[in-house]
Amino acid sequence: MPDALQLALAFLCSTYGMSLLALAMKVHWQQARDDEGPSAVAALTLRGVGASALLLSLWLCLRIDHVSMASLVWVMSLAASALTIALTLTWRPRWLGWVALWRRR
Amino acid sequence: MLSSFRLSMTWVHTWFGLVLGYVLMACFFFGSLSVFDREIDRWAIPETRYEPQALPSFDTMLLPIFKQIKPAEESYEHAQDEVEGPLPPADTMVPTHFTAYTTHRDPVLSMYSWFDVPNQPKDPNVDHVHVYGDATVDPRNGMLISSDKLKIGSAFFYPLHYHLHLDWKDLGYWIVGLAALIMLVALVTGVIMHRKIFREFFTFRPNKQTQRSTLDLHNLTGVVALPFHFFFAFTGLVIFAGIYLPVTEKMFHQQHQAHEKLEAVQTGLPHDPAGVAAPLASVDAMVEEARRRWAARGMGGEVGFLEVAHYGDTNGYVSIYRAGTDRVTLTGQGIHFRASTGELIREEPQPTTVSGINEWLTGLHLQHFRHWMLRWLYVFGGLCGCACIATGFIFFVEKRKRQHAKAGTSGARWVDALAVAAVTGMMIATATILVANRLLPESLPARGDWEQRIFWFAWLVALLHAAWRSAPVQRALISPAWREQCWALAMLCIAAPVLNWITTGDHLFKTIGERYWPVAGFDLALLAVAGVTAYAARRLARAEASAPASATSERATMDAAHA
Repeated sequence: MPDALQLALAFLCSTYGMSLLALAMKVHWQQARDDEGPSAVAALTLRGVGASALLLSLWLCLRIDHVSMASLVWVMSLAASALTIALTLTWRPRWLGWVALWRRR
Repeated sequence: MLSSFRLSMTWVHTWFGLVLGYVLMACFFFGSLSVFDREIDRWAIPETRYEPQALPSFDTMLLPIFKQIKPAEESYEHAQDEVEGPLPPADTMVPTHFTAYTTHRDPVLSMYSWFDVPNQPKDPNVDHVHVYGDATVDPRNGMLISSDKLKIGSAFFYPLHYHLHLDWKDLGYWIVGLAALIMLVALVTGVIMHRKIFREFFTFRPNKQTQRSTLDLHNLTGVVALPFHFFFAFTGLVIFAGIYLPVTEKMFHQQHQAHEKLEAVQTGLPHDPAGVAAPLASVDAMVEEARRRWAARGMGGEVGFLEVAHYGDTNGYVSIYRAGTDRVTLTGQGIHFRASTGELIREEPQPTTVSGINEWLTGLHLQHFRHWMLRWLYVFGGLCGCACIATGFIFFVEKRKRQHAKAGTSGARWVDALAVAAVTGMMIATATILVANRLLPESLPARGDWEQRIFWFAWLVALLHAAWRSAPVQRALISPAWREQCWALAMLCIAAPVLNWITTGDHLFKTIGERYWPVAGFDLALLAVAGVTAYAARRLARAEASAPASATSERATMDAAHA
């Protein structure tokens, strides 16, 4: 796979991870969906999967570059994806409703 | 004494942040531009718009040029102040050191010569003083690029971000160093005073009161890029640690000298010339050998830095360093040869852990690696820093302007005026130097000096305009200077690419078609800034129009409450 594509994938992974971490918070869940908020189990799952996605993104970064460089790319892409999710929550919160693939009963 | 720890931290954050924020704004903004300094150079010097070049032949092209380089006037005058007695005339000075430097983004090669000075230095701690000369060449044909042409990116914006062009007694370095230190303090105090750092990690509410939205944005841009802000302020201090804490030169001078001599013995690289003349063997052969040795270690690549020490002396040596395109460190894997014979003296071993960390810290800030995504992420981090500082100013003003208006004091007004000058004013000056670069006659003597003067003049005009138009802040309204300067900036940012087209013929369709990204990218960035600032100006106009109404209605509510 070309490096540019892998880097894009790494960025997507970290953005996905950030979106799940945001949805694990009641206030953001409510922005994205109509219901009350994630159950305790759902919140925990969101955090777990979200954190794993961030780690997956790190793994992708490490596959492409030397570790000294990959660490920088990863930390900076975390920053950029966090801001992306924050601004999505500001202007297009419903888009994040699609990200969590299960519904609260 | 303030009542609680958090309040004291707030005090430190507010006041130190305010005073040095104006400096930090320039450091972050011009630092962000410096990520693409070489590309801005291409925009500013159209005759250098061609692909990056590898190091050309030393023997046939570079050596004759090195021999022609004369001491730079500025360096000569500087050295004269440092030594006893008059210096020998500049054109009789003989060069003793040559260095050539290039990166994977440089179509031109930077060359420097050092000249030994026989005079006794005034400072007893200094052993000898050098005079320097430099040249920029087109490696394809060895033609010199006139020094009247200002490299706006690498020779103006880039130094501006670390010493503000205040050369007198290194004052600029000290101010920026202090600002970086305060940046670290502001980050720590900011984290302490932020009550909901995790709960509001993803929060920006533009529809709340200006004060609240501004604080949201301040927190957001500060927190998400916190590692960037911390590491760049910190590594900036590490890079110039030798200026801020000159321990080896001042406190341990004797030991430093002894260490240098011992190191010379251990590495076999002579510290001093022998005083016996010797010819220079083929440097091209040495470059070839260095490349072969890097390849044998599984590290291909080009030469990033080449140095000839003690030129013409039997103790002379040639050091060749690999360009750090695939690593964070700048250059490395140095290989040293005896200048007179070309035999290998030393191949540098892996750096020690300490120097490895140091190289990583400085390298991550100076970024000569080949990684376009990381470059853009750095621009993103830098602009987050700018947004964080700018919203800091606005929050300061928003929080106080009503009280100040009531009390009849003008503090908020002057802070706001300075903020306009530091944010939009700075960007106007930046766009103005680009416009001036395209409008000044090509043959104007000292053209680069004129460009710089125009830059500072434009900034001064922006400051005066901001001060003149800031009166409404005293009535708790928005200063129209923000809107007016946004419009001025938008127009300048459209004018620059248009003038680039008219004066060089390189319009966007052409540069994008040819995939010449240094110029196409910069033109597109200018147009993007124009779009964003025009949008901001329209929003400001709307806010200004509704502000008097809401101020009146606020008063009406208050009157009603009194009644």
